[in-house]
Amino acid sequence: MYRTFLVLVLFMLTPLSGCLEQATSSDECVVLPAGHQDDGVLRILTYDITALSEALTDEFTNQTGVPVEMIKVDDAGGILDQMMLTKDAQQADLMIGLDNTYLPTAVANCLLQAHEVSASNLSTTALSFYDGPLALPFDQGDVCLNYDEDALNEANMTVPTSLNNLTEDEWRGKVAFPSPVTSSPGRAFLVASMEYFSTVDDQDAMAWWSEMIDNDAIITTGWTEAYETHYTGGYGEYTEGYIGDAWMTVSYCHSPGVEAFYADNYTHSTSLIIDHTSFHQIEYTGIINGAAQVEGAKLFIDYLLSTEVNTNMPENNLMYSVLEGTDLPETNGYRYHADVPSTGTTTTYEEVETNMDEWLESWKTATQQA
Amino acid sequence: MLRKSIWTGRTIAVLAYLTLASLPFIYALGRLQVVTGHSPWEAFWRFSSAYGAMDALSYTLLEATASALLTVCIGLPIAWYLGRYEWRYAGLFRALFSVPFVMPAIVAAMGFLLMIDDEGPLYFIGIDLRTETGIIGQISSLTGWEHPGHFLALILAHAWFNLSLIIRFVEPTLARLDPAWEEQLSLLGQGKNRLGRIRHLWWPVIGPAVLCAASLSFLFSFTSFALVKWLSPFNQTLESLMAAYGGSAGIENYRVDTSEIVMSASLVQFLILLCALWMTSTLQQRHSSRFSLISEGGARAARGAPHWRAKMVVYSGVIFAMGPLLAALLASFRVREGNFADGFTYNWSLEGWAAAWSGDLATMGINDALVNSLGYAFWTLCIALPTGWMLASTIHGLEMEGRTRLAKALDIATLLPLAVSAVMVGLGILLGVLRLMPELFQWHYLPVLPHVILTTPFVVRIMLPAMRSVEPKWKEQAEVLKLNGFRTWYHGYFAFLRGPAVVASSLTLAFSLGEFGASWLLVRAGSWDTLSVVVDQLMSRPKFDPLVQPAAMAAACVLMFTTFVLFLCAEKFRHEGEGGGF
Repeated sequence: MYRTFLVLVLFMLTPLSGCLEQATSSDECVVLPAGHQDDGVLRILTYDITALSEALTDEFTNQTGVPVEMIKVDDAGGILDQMMLTKDAQQADLMIGLDNTYLPTAVANCLLQAHEVSASNLSTTALSFYDGPLALPFDQGDVCLNYDEDALNEANMTVPTSLNNLTEDEWRGKVAFPSPVTSSPGRAFLVASMEYFSTVDDQDAMAWWSEMIDNDAIITTGWTEAYETHYTGGYGEYTEGYIGDAWMTVSYCHSPGVEAFYADNYTHSTSLIIDHTSFHQIEYTGIINGAAQVEGAKLFIDYLLSTEVNTNMPENNLMYSVLEGTDLPETNGYRYHADVPSTGTTTTYEEVETNMDEWLESWKTATQQA
Repeated sequence: MLRKSIWTGRTIAVLAYLTLASLPFIYALGRLQVVTGHSPWEAFWRFSSAYGAMDALSYTLLEATASALLTVCIGLPIAWYLGRYEWRYAGLFRALFSVPFVMPAIVAAMGFLLMIDDEGPLYFIGIDLRTETGIIGQISSLTGWEHPGHFLALILAHAWFNLSLIIRFVEPTLARLDPAWEEQLSLLGQGKNRLGRIRHLWWPVIGPAVLCAASLSFLFSFTSFALVKWLSPFNQTLESLMAAYGGSAGIENYRVDTSEIVMSASLVQFLILLCALWMTSTLQQRHSSRFSLISEGGARAARGAPHWRAKMVVYSGVIFAMGPLLAALLASFRVREGNFADGFTYNWSLEGWAAAWSGDLATMGINDALVNSLGYAFWTLCIALPTGWMLASTIHGLEMEGRTRLAKALDIATLLPLAVSAVMVGLGILLGVLRLMPELFQWHYLPVLPHVILTTPFVVRIMLPAMRSVEPKWKEQAEVLKLNGFRTWYHGYFAFLRGPAVVASSLTLAFSLGEFGASWLLVRAGSWDTLSVVVDQLMSRPKFDPLVQPAAMAAACVLMFTTFVLFLCAEKFRHEGEGGGF
């Protein structure tokens, strides 16, 4: 019996030896051959971006004759993970949704190829972080802290003027952060906090994070849990699973505007405007290195950046357009309630590329030791 | 000659399934070994230093144990009364109690959130499990126990989810137990009091089944993910920890920390669940071979109609089982209106259903998603049922030949997919397909693969006890009638397994519909989306738009009704005495 079982186990383990011989990545980027068969379908790797509706892709197909299929992952980080995992045989042609905290890693790992699309009407802000040949911005917004004005008024609390205020006892257990390890807004705010403490307070950012954990800050896996489940200032109160124990959370500076847009010009959420505590998040699209439908991908980038589609980003994707001269609509106080950061982060592409892994590791250590 | 070819066929089926079921895990483990530079042994010992791992392990063990105990506490009285009396709609009750187990976890989570929120029935009677005010808040401040409400909500939801396990294991035995045994025991000294009857009759009769159900409840609570995510947001289990970090695991020169977490946690989880599976297998064997019972109708008739206490327990059980699902149904018609300034109101309308049908808020409408779900379920059934049958008959054949150790090893091996983390399977399938045949990623039926891996163990669990209960003399009697080979097999063997096969089929279809596995696929085209994926997509969207939530619930309801109808059909085919336990 044991011999039979041993043979069985050995049989099952045989492929393991092959698995241990994975090829290492090349330092120089070359355009890879198609990782999948070109059957005329444009495959888009994305997360659940609300703007990419069936109506939008159908319209693209009507205009160009190129059918579209979505490969969806959970979030922006999932797009990078997917491209890294399938590096040797990419299954999608176009990625839509990597943000500027992930883009440097994708570029460094040769996951994108030159798109050769000339997009002339992009705003300088949208091109401020990356203006290279591998990716183009398609939407943007500033990540910053949002707080519940009503809750602060009722508790006679003053609006914080420094991130250090949040480590005080009156904020105990009242701030929710999406984890930078698993969430892209979380990552964006981590970058902002690194810059804030190095430029404004000249303090160790990780010490602040430790103090926040000591002050019972709530860490969630993603933005949804932080904003919908814990934050008292948003629409979460009217969704299932609401707890409402946080008066402040990480979201976008224009989130109060979105709240107002959907609630007939009313919100009691606003953004905390402190210098260097926001991060200008830019989301990108780019042709995957190893794509089969390169022409279709180029056409879709053109379509995504067309005035007709991109100016609707605020309504369809709850983010700013990247086109020059556009703004949020005035409807229902969308524009009025959307806050604009005084001084955003100036962290560069190179700094993110060089430091992100180390920041994340330090953050984990700081929050675990606290 | 025939015997040899039967064994050849069985060997091929066993090897094919074990290879299919174990390769993803082996591939994933191999890749994690390359990325982390740790051997599995080293990874196992480094578990305590992995980020958040010890907290996750202790919470997982605590909630899984508590969930198993609560499942027994709630399920046993229901099984007891349901099994012992003559209920007019026993089949309907069984179907109702089975529905929670085949509900996608995301639907269960939403249903429970609706039950415990500030407009739910628990809050109405002063038990606030969500925001932990009132008595729950007092318990927390008096004991220093953080978030007791969330813990209670989680184990209650797990008990709800696993309720059918204990009912399906225990109730058929009770339903067919000869009332004469009880009467005879009550005349003896050892059966004079309740404790004596429990010790000398009931425990030997239903004890193994109860323990078997408890160990399976432990297993499912241990690997629970969506319920933990939604109901217990301040804590992580090993599965949710791996799900949180698994996306970036297995990538060379990138986020080695996440690979370390996933590798260590998956190995620890695997070993713990292996023990639970061994226990389940042992107990199920004892359970299925202990008693020969009488006809269900006769036993029920002897005990008569249910008394008021029995009715109260069973009806309460039905309310418990249906409550979250009814809440989900109601939520599909409730649409939020108004604003923060004036407050929100809820209107009853079909807008959520219309949005779900049109597919405007997801990758596709619920009609298309249902077609996908049914297609995958059908093909899963076509593969999983014969495979599970072959595996069960191989195990039973080995037992009959006295090769009990090999039978036992194979029995446990068929359960292994239940012990492997979904994250590892997802990663393994991705790596395996990439390595062997990347074109498969464009094959519409790829999601059938994880469905088959996960549903086959349930087919084995249903068919194996049924095969053990088939008396060899029945086949001999058919042979005496001079029937041909096929008819002898049909009348002397298959006819007795038809009922369990139908139950296994309905369970396979229901699990497949409930998306047990397709979400494991890391490369998944939008056009493959099933109903469960659509529900998940909708629930994950920002709910600024008031139609998102009702549309998600509408999609969940379609799934719910489909699985319920399946189970109702299965009950019609369930022959008396053939059980229907898993």
